[in-house]
Amino acid sequence: MKKVFSIILCALMLLTCLAACAKEQGQQTQSSPDSTTVPADNDATAPADNQADQEQDAEPVTIKVFSNLTDRTSGQGLIEQTLFDNYMTEHPNVTIQVEALDDESYKTKFKAYASGSSMPDLVNIWCSPSFLDEVIAANVLAPLNAADYADYGFADGSLAGVTYDGQLYGLPRNTDVLGFYYNKDMFAQYNLEVPTTWAELLTVCQTLKDNDVSAIAMDGQDGWPLTHFTNCMAGTILGADTYDVMLNSVKNGDYSDPAWNTVITAASENAALLFQPGFETTDYGTAMNLFINGQAAMFFMGSWEMSMSTDFPVGHFTMPDVEGDDQGVIGAYNGGGYAVSADSKVKEEAIALLNYMFLPENWSKLSWENGVCMSAQDFSAYLTGNESDLQKEIIANLNNASGITGMTYNDLGSSEYKTVCETSTIEVLSGMITVERYFEALAGVR
Amino acid sequence: MHKLYSNKWVIFSLVLPGLLTFVIAILAPIILSVFYSLTDYSGLGEATVTGIQNYKALLHDSVFWTALRNSLLLAIGFVAIQHPIAVYVAVKLDRLQGKAEGFLRCVYFIPNVISVAVIAYLWKFIYNPNFGLLQKILEFFGYDGTFNALSSGSAIWAVLVVLIWHGFGWGMLIYYTGIKNIDPVVYEAAKIDGATEGQAFLHITLPLMKPVIKYNVTLAVISALKQMETVYLLTNGGPGNETQFLGTYLYKQAFGSFKYGYGNAISVVFIAICLLSTVILNKVFEDRSERREGKRLAKAAKKAKS
Repeated sequence: MKKVFSIILCALMLLTCLAACAKEQGQQTQSSPDSTTVPADNDATAPADNQADQEQDAEPVTIKVFSNLTDRTSGQGLIEQTLFDNYMTEHPNVTIQVEALDDESYKTKFKAYASGSSMPDLVNIWCSPSFLDEVIAANVLAPLNAADYADYGFADGSLAGVTYDGQLYGLPRNTDVLGFYYNKDMFAQYNLEVPTTWAELLTVCQTLKDNDVSAIAMDGQDGWPLTHFTNCMAGTILGADTYDVMLNSVKNGDYSDPAWNTVITAASENAALLFQPGFETTDYGTAMNLFINGQAAMFFMGSWEMSMSTDFPVGHFTMPDVEGDDQGVIGAYNGGGYAVSADSKVKEEAIALLNYMFLPENWSKLSWENGVCMSAQDFSAYLTGNESDLQKEIIANLNNASGITGMTYNDLGSSEYKTVCETSTIEVLSGMITVERYFEALAGVR
Repeated sequence: MHKLYSNKWVIFSLVLPGLLTFVIAILAPIILSVFYSLTDYSGLGEATVTGIQNYKALLHDSVFWTALRNSLLLAIGFVAIQHPIAVYVAVKLDRLQGKAEGFLRCVYFIPNVISVAVIAYLWKFIYNPNFGLLQKILEFFGYDGTFNALSSGSAIWAVLVVLIWHGFGWGMLIYYTGIKNIDPVVYEAAKIDGATEGQAFLHITLPLMKPVIKYNVTLAVISALKQMETVYLLTNGGPGNETQFLGTYLYKQAFGSFKYGYGNAISVVFIAICLLSTVILNKVFEDRSERREGKRLAKAAKKAKS
């Protein structure tokens, strides 16, 4: 009897162990605690057109989307969510599940997904070698047919960052223009003009400093805004050759072009004058708040912040000419974008959703009309004349430019290069290392 | 029932869940970590075995040594600054009695209740040279410059202040509990014998608190070595790499540079350092009389055998 009891007890213990390891059938995928999961909103009462009627009876499809736009109620996140909701209304058989994480967490989980077999169907990407090189090499993304996008109005060169060996792997979301947002009231208060040369910029900064106002609010802790700043400086010297010179330097570890030395020396010698005290330990949010709260007169950032809310009129200008022979090239690139997972079980449907999002009347129109950002496509058809002054200034700066710099140098190498480059840029601009040591550090990694 | 518990299979089935948890959640990841530390794995694609290349690179990596130095500095800070103050405060709290005792006990423990993210941002704002409390206090006392405590040179000390302050409540509470467990009769006897408060502390409190001190110090050293989240949110290891700790540097290499192999090499060294620290601390706190007794018993056993 005791033996039987022992056996039953053993069996129970084992069953308990196995039960704990088992996965419930049909269990919903759980997102991490800090992620935002937007449930499928599939009960919309849309007009029942023919297509919707037909698809109502079609096989149900669930498309999983992995996004780096965590705020689903404003900005780009809202545009993305609106497009998904519209798509589900037009295709009643489709359910879109969104998992959203902030940039750094996103990149980490993206790699985790890529290492396993559960990569979501539609994913956000960064159209830069530092993110895409390893991803493309690991065959994680599905190839797209470039011919399908011939009529989508993508700007010249905007697909280059997502094209490898002639094959398209994704679509860029925006054209990100880098520049200075400035407080027009403060400029008027101190009789300041928008600087067109580096010397004028330094004079403006000196005047502001003399009046106990920080000049440029800079997110120096993250590193990348500093590399964007120096990249823009290089753009005014190197002009149309900026991207090629930068790429050559990164790939070959050769930083002998005189522009490098000019830029890094000028930036490091004047960093204390240009940026707020403690810029090297200031994060994105704090830097932006310094500008919004009127504690800094300028904020160096991309055009994705064009919808920021302030109590004063905001203007925009691009990097002033550093060496006196203005090439007219401004800092701009195609940053984020989308791609479809190569192993997606609903690849065709995911590509259809991607194509829908980038129909000119969708992402381009909505993002511009809502003053959120400028798409990587031609959105001139959607200019209404009712844009904000800031929007008009940014678009004017882009239209007046002779060209754009393309992707910044911190994103032109491997992930390791990006880390070393950004850390070293913080160090050189805050005086922790010399300019020579900076180039040695960059040359040591590709 | 006794016979039931003597049954090998019953014992096995009772031990199995714990054993499986240990193997799956602890042992297997460590073995995998050791394996990946011998590869150039980037987190994607195939891993190529590169032998001890990562460990060789680690020896010449100045940032790794900075991170290790910072972790050890923090451990020293915990043991030499935080814990003596914690013991002192715990003794004083014990003497206070009444409502004040309970109130202050809660006050000292508040930093531990607040989320790490809030603590990090709170101090980030205190240290901010543009609008921070520290800058305002300095200005109040006539300082007319700007002082950024998190800038190069002072950043590591500013971080240590936050970490020591943040962990103080735990240390204090454990010492306080230890003191509360000492029989008051011992103190009364000492008082009758004419012992002063200082003598009672040195000859009664400290010796009787030895197991608590041992536990608390070991915990402090291990937590110093595995420090990660507060530093990550406060400085992210910066400016540059000046405030890197082993945990933050490991994360940066594995998830920033996507050098999983290298990150795993750091984690293996990290485990070794943690184990070594525990062994050293056990030796330091080993009771000499226990050791003598152990040796005596071993000798006696040997003699009886022969």
